[in-house]
Amino acid sequence: MKKNKKLLTIAITAFSAMTMLWGCGKGSGSEEETSGYVYVPEYVEMDVECNYINSVAAVGDDVFMNTVSWNEETGESSNALYKYDMLEGKGEVLPLALDENSNVNGMVGTADGNLLMVVNIYSYEQDENGEITDYHSEMELWKVSAEDGSVAESKDLSGIFDDPENTYVQNICADGQGNIYLSDGDNGIHVVDQGLNKICDIKLENWIRSMTASKEGDVYITTYGENGLELRKVDLTTKKLGEPVEGFNGGYGNQEFSVGATKSFLVDDSSKVSVFDLSTGTEEELFKWLDADINSDSVTQRGELSDGRVWAVTRDYSADGPASVELVLLNRKDASEVPQKEKITYGAMWVDSNVKKAIIDFNKTNEKYRITVKEYGNGVEDYQAALTQFNADLTTANCPDIISLSNVDFHMYVSKGVLEDLYPYMEKSGINKEDYLENILKAYEEDGKLYGILSGFYVSSTLAKESKVGDKTGWTLEEMLEFAQDKDPESVFPYGSRSSIFYYCIYNNIDEFIDWESGKCSFNGEDFIKTMEFAAKFPEEYDYQKEREGLSARIRSDKILLMDNSITSVQEYQMITGMFGEKVAFLGYPNSERKGNLIQPAGGCMGLASKSKNKDGAWEFMQVMISEEYQNSLVSEHGNSYGFPIRKDALEKQFELDMTPDYYEDGDGNKVESAKTTWGWDDFQMEIMAATQEEVDAVKKLIDSAEKVAGSVDEQLVNIITEESEPFFKGQKSAKEAADIIQNRIQTYVNENS
Amino acid sequence: MHFPGKGKKDRTLLKSQKKKNSSPRTRRGKLVSAGYLLPSALGVLLFFVLPFMIVIFYSVVDNPISMQFVFFDNFVSVFRNNAFKQAARNTMTFSLVAVPLAVVLSLMLAMMLESKIPFRSQFRTFFLSPMMVPIASVVLIWQVLFHYNGMMNEVLALFQKDKIDWLNSSFAQVVIVVLFLWKNLGYNMILFMSALSSIPKDILEVAVLESATPFQIFWHIKLRYMSSTILFVTIMSLINSFKVFREIYLLKGDYPYDTMYMLQHFMNNTFSRLDYQKMSAAAIMMAVVMVIIIGILFLTENYFGKDVEG
Repeated sequence: MKKNKKLLTIAITAFSAMTMLWGCGKGSGSEEETSGYVYVPEYVEMDVECNYINSVAAVGDDVFMNTVSWNEETGESSNALYKYDMLEGKGEVLPLALDENSNVNGMVGTADGNLLMVVNIYSYEQDENGEITDYHSEMELWKVSAEDGSVAESKDLSGIFDDPENTYVQNICADGQGNIYLSDGDNGIHVVDQGLNKICDIKLENWIRSMTASKEGDVYITTYGENGLELRKVDLTTKKLGEPVEGFNGGYGNQEFSVGATKSFLVDDSSKVSVFDLSTGTEEELFKWLDADINSDSVTQRGELSDGRVWAVTRDYSADGPASVELVLLNRKDASEVPQKEKITYGAMWVDSNVKKAIIDFNKTNEKYRITVKEYGNGVEDYQAALTQFNADLTTANCPDIISLSNVDFHMYVSKGVLEDLYPYMEKSGINKEDYLENILKAYEEDGKLYGILSGFYVSSTLAKESKVGDKTGWTLEEMLEFAQDKDPESVFPYGSRSSIFYYCIYNNIDEFIDWESGKCSFNGEDFIKTMEFAAKFPEEYDYQKEREGLSARIRSDKILLMDNSITSVQEYQMITGMFGEKVAFLGYPNSERKGNLIQPAGGCMGLASKSKNKDGAWEFMQVMISEEYQNSLVSEHGNSYGFPIRKDALEKQFELDMTPDYYEDGDGNKVESAKTTWGWDDFQMEIMAATQEEVDAVKKLIDSAEKVAGSVDEQLVNIITEESEPFFKGQKSAKEAADIIQNRIQTYVNENS
Repeated sequence: MHFPGKGKKDRTLLKSQKKKNSSPRTRRGKLVSAGYLLPSALGVLLFFVLPFMIVIFYSVVDNPISMQFVFFDNFVSVFRNNAFKQAARNTMTFSLVAVPLAVVLSLMLAMMLESKIPFRSQFRTFFLSPMMVPIASVVLIWQVLFHYNGMMNEVLALFQKDKIDWLNSSFAQVVIVVLFLWKNLGYNMILFMSALSSIPKDILEVAVLESATPFQIFWHIKLRYMSSTILFVTIMSLINSFKVFREIYLLKGDYPYDTMYMLQHFMNNTFSRLDYQKMSAAAIMMAVVMVIIIGILFLTENYFGKDVEG
C-alpha cells in the first residue's frame, strides 16, 4: 500500500511538472501554428491619379475617396470622388462639383446609401502686395449621390453654430434615422435632422476624440474620462451623453472606431483590429496589422465589408518622394492555406515605425522565417506592470527571440545574461565590424562583446557659442554650474523650468553620484546640493505667455546662453550654426569624464535573446538593419533624413550628398546654385545650401565625441529624486535635509544592486 | 501472564480484518475518496509544492537565464548584501516590537471588554472598524496624518516642538508599528474574546470560591486555557507583520527610508530586476527562520497548554 501511495505521489508530481513544462514551452520558436485563421492582404489596383486623398468614407460595401489633383500648368486644384466597389472589385471616378476655393471638410455614408459632405467655401481679397485683406468662409452640408457624385442637396450650416466663421467641423456622422451629428473643435456636439432643424446641442468638458455610427444605427463618441478612453452614446432621448459603455477598456490607447458590419464597431488600436459588440460588451480580436504585413502607422482609414472582410487605406510617406496611397483588402483564410514559416518573436515595449517597416519587408520576402511582434506597452494603463511582465518573460520560455532595447535597462539585461554577444554572428555572416562607426558599436559593448545593434542614430548635446565656452566637446557638472551659476535664470536655457534644469543636470550624469565599485553614493555631497540650489533659481513652471523676442534673436544677443538639442543631420547642424550666428560648441550633458554628447538610436535598437531557440533565424532579421543595402537606404538624397547611418561608407555617402550643390538654370541659361531645402525654428528661417567641408567636419567631430547611449537611468532613481527634492523646492526643507533623505533612499537601492 | 489461545484468536481476527479491508467494496471506497482528494492534491502540488521547488532551484543557480549551478553562492552573497541585512534587521525589529504589542494589547482589550463596562459593543465595533477600511484609504489617511505638513506636526507645533519628518526618519518605524496595531488589534481582540468566553465557567467559579485573586485566575486559569489562541494570534500577527510591506509600499514605494525597508522590499525589487536567484535565496532564508520561530511557538504552547487540553 505504501509503495502504491509513493507511486501515486510520483505520478501526480510528474503529471504536474509535465503540465507546467508544456505550458512553458508553448510559443517557443517552432513552426508557425497551422490552426485558426489569418488575414491575408490583397492590394487593390486603383485606377486613379491624384496628388492626395482628402477624406474617405464607406457606403455599404463601396469605398469613396475624395481625391485632390493639382494642375501645375494652370496652378489650380480639382476635386473628384473615387468610388470602389469592394465586392465587385471595380473602381470609377465620379466628378465632384467643387469650386477652386472649396474643400471637403468631412464625409460620411448615410443609411439611405448616399454621402454627406461638410464643404468649406472660402473667399478672400488681396491687396497690391498680395496680402490677404478680407477672408470669409462658410460651411455647407452637401448630400451627394453615391451613384454618380451629383449634389442632390446643399444647405448652409451657419445657423447651427454660434460662431460659424470660427467653427471647425471635426467630425460628421449620421444615424439610422437620418439625423446628422456634427462635432466642433470646441468639444460641442450639434445634432440636426435632415432638414437641419436643431435636435440638441451637447457640450462636453473633455476633448471629443472621435465620433462613429454603430451597426445598430446609433452614434457614439470617444472621449477621455477618469479611467482613459471612454465610448459613450449620444442619447437623443435625454439629449445627453450616455454612461460609458461597459466592457470597452480603451486605456490611453489610440483606438479608431468604424461602423461594423458583423458586430457594432470595427476597432483599430494601431496594433490590432477587433470587432466590438455593444450588446455583450465584448471585443474580439480579428488580426494584428503586423501579422497582415501592414504598417499600422500608415493606415489612415479602415472598414468592414458585409462578408466580414476588412479594407484599409494606407498612405506611405517617404523622405524623398511623394506619399503613395494604397487600398488593401484583407481576406480571412485558414492558416493552413498560407505557406508555413518558422516563427521568430520580436518583443518590445512598443515597436518603432522603422522596425515595423523592416519587419513587414522581411516577412514579405523571407521564405523561411516570419517575425511576429509581441508589444507589451502599447496603450496599456499600467506601463510599469507591462515592463515587469516584459522583464519576467525574458527569463521564461516566453522570451522573445529579438529584444527591443528602446526604453529598457540595457545594462541590466547585459549583467543578467539576457543578451547574446553579436560579434560572432556578425563574423559568421561576413559582416566586418570595422565597416561600422567604432564609437557607436562600443556604446553597446561590454567587456568586448556587442549586445545591441541599431540602424541609425543622432546625437543629443548642449549647445553654446564657442566664443563663450571655448572649443570643448564636454564639461563636468562643476564646470557647468560655474558657467551658469551667476547668470540670470531666464538667460541660461530657453524654456528652462526648475524640473527640466534639475533633470538636465542630474539624470544623464547620475553615475557621478554613485560609485558602484564601493557601493557608496554621494547625493548628500556638495555637488548635488549645489545643483539643487541652482535648479531652485528657476521658475517652477516656464511662463510661455510672457512676451519675449524670438529664440534666435535671444541667442544672438546672449540673452540665452545654452540650448539642449539633438543633431539629426548635417542640415540641422547648418541651421543651428545659422541660428547662433557664429561657431557652436557641442558641450554635451554634464559628465564627470566630459563625455556628455549622447547617442540616441533612430529607428530602433535591438538585441538577440540568449534564451532564443532560433538564434540564427533571429539574426537573419537583425542583420538586415546593418546590411549595406539597408544602411544605404537611410541615405537621403536631399539630406533631410532623421539620423545618421552607422555604416561608415553610408555615412560618407550622406556627407557627400550633403556637400553636393543643387542647381537651377536662370533665365539666361546659367547654372545657379539653389537651396537644398529650408529649415526654421521659431523666429529663424534659413535656406540650406550644400554643406562645406568645415561643416561636415564639425558634424564628424560631434559624432566621434559621442560614446554613451542616452536614457538608461532607472525610473526608480528618478522618482526618488523628484519626490524628495520637492519639499526643498517648495521651501519646506533645506537642500541638505532633502539631499540626506535622497542619499538614504538611493543608498538602499545601491546596496541592493551592489 | 500468557494466554496462548487469545494470541491465536487475535491473529485470526487480524487476518479477517485484513481480508475485510481489502474487499472490493473497501477498495472502491478508497478509490472514490482518492478521486475526491485528487483535485486538492493536484492544487497543492501545482500551486505550493512545485513553486517552492522552483524557488529552491532558482536559489542554487547563478541567474534565471544561464542557470549555472552555483550551490550556496547565492545564499552567501545575499547574506553579505547590505540591503538584505538592513531589511532583515528592520523586519526582525518590527516583528519583535509589533507582534508582542499586538498580542498583549489585544488581550488587554479583550479582558477589558469582557468586564461589564458601558458601551461595550460600541467599543468592539470601534476596534473592528479598521478591518473594514480598504488599505489604500488607510494609507491615504496615514499620509495626511504623518506628512511633513501633516496633522501630527501641527499638533507638535501647538506644543512648540519642531516638525518631524515621520516617514523619512528613524521615527518611520514607529509610524508603521502604530499603523500595524491600529489595523490588527480589533481582529486579535475578537479571537481573544471568543477564547475567553469558552473557558469553563465552573472552573472559574471554583477558583473564586477557593479565594483565588483575579491575577491568579488570569495567570493560572485563563492564560492556560487561552494558550492555543495566544499561539494562533501570535502566528497570525507574525505573518501579518511580514505583510506590513503593503502599507509601506503604498506610503513610500519600492525604496523607502532605510528604517522602513523590509525583506519583502528586497524580494520584490530583486524580482523586478530579474535577480530571481537573490530573491529565492532570501525567501528560503526567511522561510527557514519562520519555521524555526513557529516551531518554538508550538513547543511553548505545548508546554504551557498541555494540562488543559483534552
